[in-house]
Amino acid sequence: MQATQLEHAISTIRVRFGSQALTRAGELPPPQPWPSCTPLDRLSGIEGLPRGRLTLLTGSGTSGKLTLALSLLAAATHEFANAVVIDARGDFDPWSLSHFDPELSSLTVVRLDSEPSGEAATALARAGAGFILLMGEIPEPWLGPLEASANRSGTVLVGVVDAPGRALAHASSLSLGFSRIDWVWDRGELVGLRTITRCLKNRVAPPLGESELEIRYPLGQQLPFSTPVIEVLLEKAEVECVSAVV
Amino acid sequence: MRICCGLTGHLELAKRADLYGRPVVVGRWDDHVIAASEEALPFGVSSGMPLRQAEHLCPQATFLAPDPEAATRLRELISSALYDLAPVVEVKVEGIAWIDVSGVVRPGDSIREARRRLRTAIGREPRLGVAPGPFSARVAATRARPGRVVQVEDARAFLAPLPMHELALDAEQLERLDLLGLRTLGAVAAIGPRELESQLGREGRHAVLLARGAEPDELTPWRPPQFSSAHRQFEPPVEDREALLFVSRALCGDLADELGVRGAGAKRVRVRFVYESGQPDERSSIVRHPLSSALELFGLIGGWIKEWQPRAPITELWIELPVLEAAGRRQLRLWAGNDGTSEEVAAAFERLQERHGDGVVRKPRPAFLSSPLPAQRFDWVSS
Repeated sequence: MQATQLEHAISTIRVRFGSQALTRAGELPPPQPWPSCTPLDRLSGIEGLPRGRLTLLTGSGTSGKLTLALSLLAAATHEFANAVVIDARGDFDPWSLSHFDPELSSLTVVRLDSEPSGEAATALARAGAGFILLMGEIPEPWLGPLEASANRSGTVLVGVVDAPGRALAHASSLSLGFSRIDWVWDRGELVGLRTITRCLKNRVAPPLGESELEIRYPLGQQLPFSTPVIEVLLEKAEVECVSAVV
Repeated sequence: MRICCGLTGHLELAKRADLYGRPVVVGRWDDHVIAASEEALPFGVSSGMPLRQAEHLCPQATFLAPDPEAATRLRELISSALYDLAPVVEVKVEGIAWIDVSGVVRPGDSIREARRRLRTAIGREPRLGVAPGPFSARVAATRARPGRVVQVEDARAFLAPLPMHELALDAEQLERLDLLGLRTLGAVAAIGPRELESQLGREGRHAVLLARGAEPDELTPWRPPQFSSAHRQFEPPVEDREALLFVSRALCGDLADELGVRGAGAKRVRVRFVYESGQPDERSSIVRHPLSSALELFGLIGGWIKEWQPRAPITELWIELPVLEAAGRRQLRLWAGNDGTSEEVAAAFERLQERHGDGVVRKPRPAFLSSPLPAQRFDWVSS
């Protein structure tokens, strides 16, 4: 009897407000992926970084997350008309990006304090910038509007922080933690690092485990690395998932 | 295609409505006649003849100096008055107004309203003609009585018995047509365009097409100026914020009505306060989507006024919309999901620069990449 009444209520809502007004969770379409051509695509479970959602790269210093983010940014400059860096810390150096062969004409750097950076990111996501790299935390009041704006325009949002605050962690849909396990030396010179990338949170697909990456540092224009990020080992380790909402 | 043509007489004559019914000639001394009223035509006065000759033919006429600026202003006024009746409107200072009523839901209502608006603007009844093209519509209008309309279904059949003087040819070309025995438009239409082209040049070909009702000419649509503003003066000067909000809401309503008529939206909004001391204060912004309703305009402007700190009593409030664009773009939002455009992102950058300074949005440009100093490797260009 109750089931009948519930079905009746659902059909009434759909008739009055449209078929999309009430959707079962299982029928919701998955976020559209942006294939980044890095091992992160496999970890996200949708063969790419989710459009319209916030992806966080977290981990302590020298764990490779910024190098990976820069390679994503360089790829985005070739694919999107507008790739934007929200540089709240003020330390973004295009020199570190130049080794990944970016298309600089589509790259814009917005350098603002932490407080107005949330407003800037929201405005740009709402306007439809293709890719936004957030270097630093976003103030909590702006996380909701930012998520909603990106969701509507399909902007790929990637944040790089050492340790995200609770609000930022909560706002992210995909959170990947980096932890360095070893340095890579070549003829006595430091050329990269090995790091484990774990999927800490995944709201876009069932969470996948972890991956071991070898990240090569760019060593100048004379020694370009065509594939600076290499997946060297795949272990089906136990999933460490802080929060997984499917 | 259905074109309505309204003939009002030269717009130079409309500035002296008190002389209607008398012979009037407009022209500069030692120059040619620019316009002559219908009452002067029976005396042999016509446009283009020397003014001295016109004076000799019709000495009782009133002679006026031309005022092209006033005539142009009147043309703009008539164009804007007719613009919301049909999207394609062309008005000439010679006193010809064309409206393309094809596709209009109620063409009869548009024609009736066009007649009323022309009468209001000029001060006398226009002659109206409706035909498949601009030429045949104009010719039909010349055959209508004031305030009446002549409708033409088959342009070729209508034009065929009319004299070839209806064609816009010079005297020599008309004489040649006469020598060729082509004294009616039907006769002109009967010969091939190439044959008359060999006699009269390109005008000959054009004349044959006109006479056949092929209507080779298209209207040049008038477009409204992409700017709008509204303002209010305060006497005595106002300091009360509530009063400013009240007035700005009313101005937003007026602007929204105008935008609605034009089918336009405001892409940039500017508010100016003129203080008692004389130094104005202003604030402007580029908006992401064109604003067209009173609610949208007041949502932006009201927010500014609420946070404004006026320096002195305000004597004038201006709301200006310096950049307008078609509001139809807004409709894209209804079905487009990933609809960000470079233009919108650029507008977002501009807004950030307005609020936080030019330096916050920059693009790196390679400069001296091999420099050991990081600051020399890239130039930063404001976006």
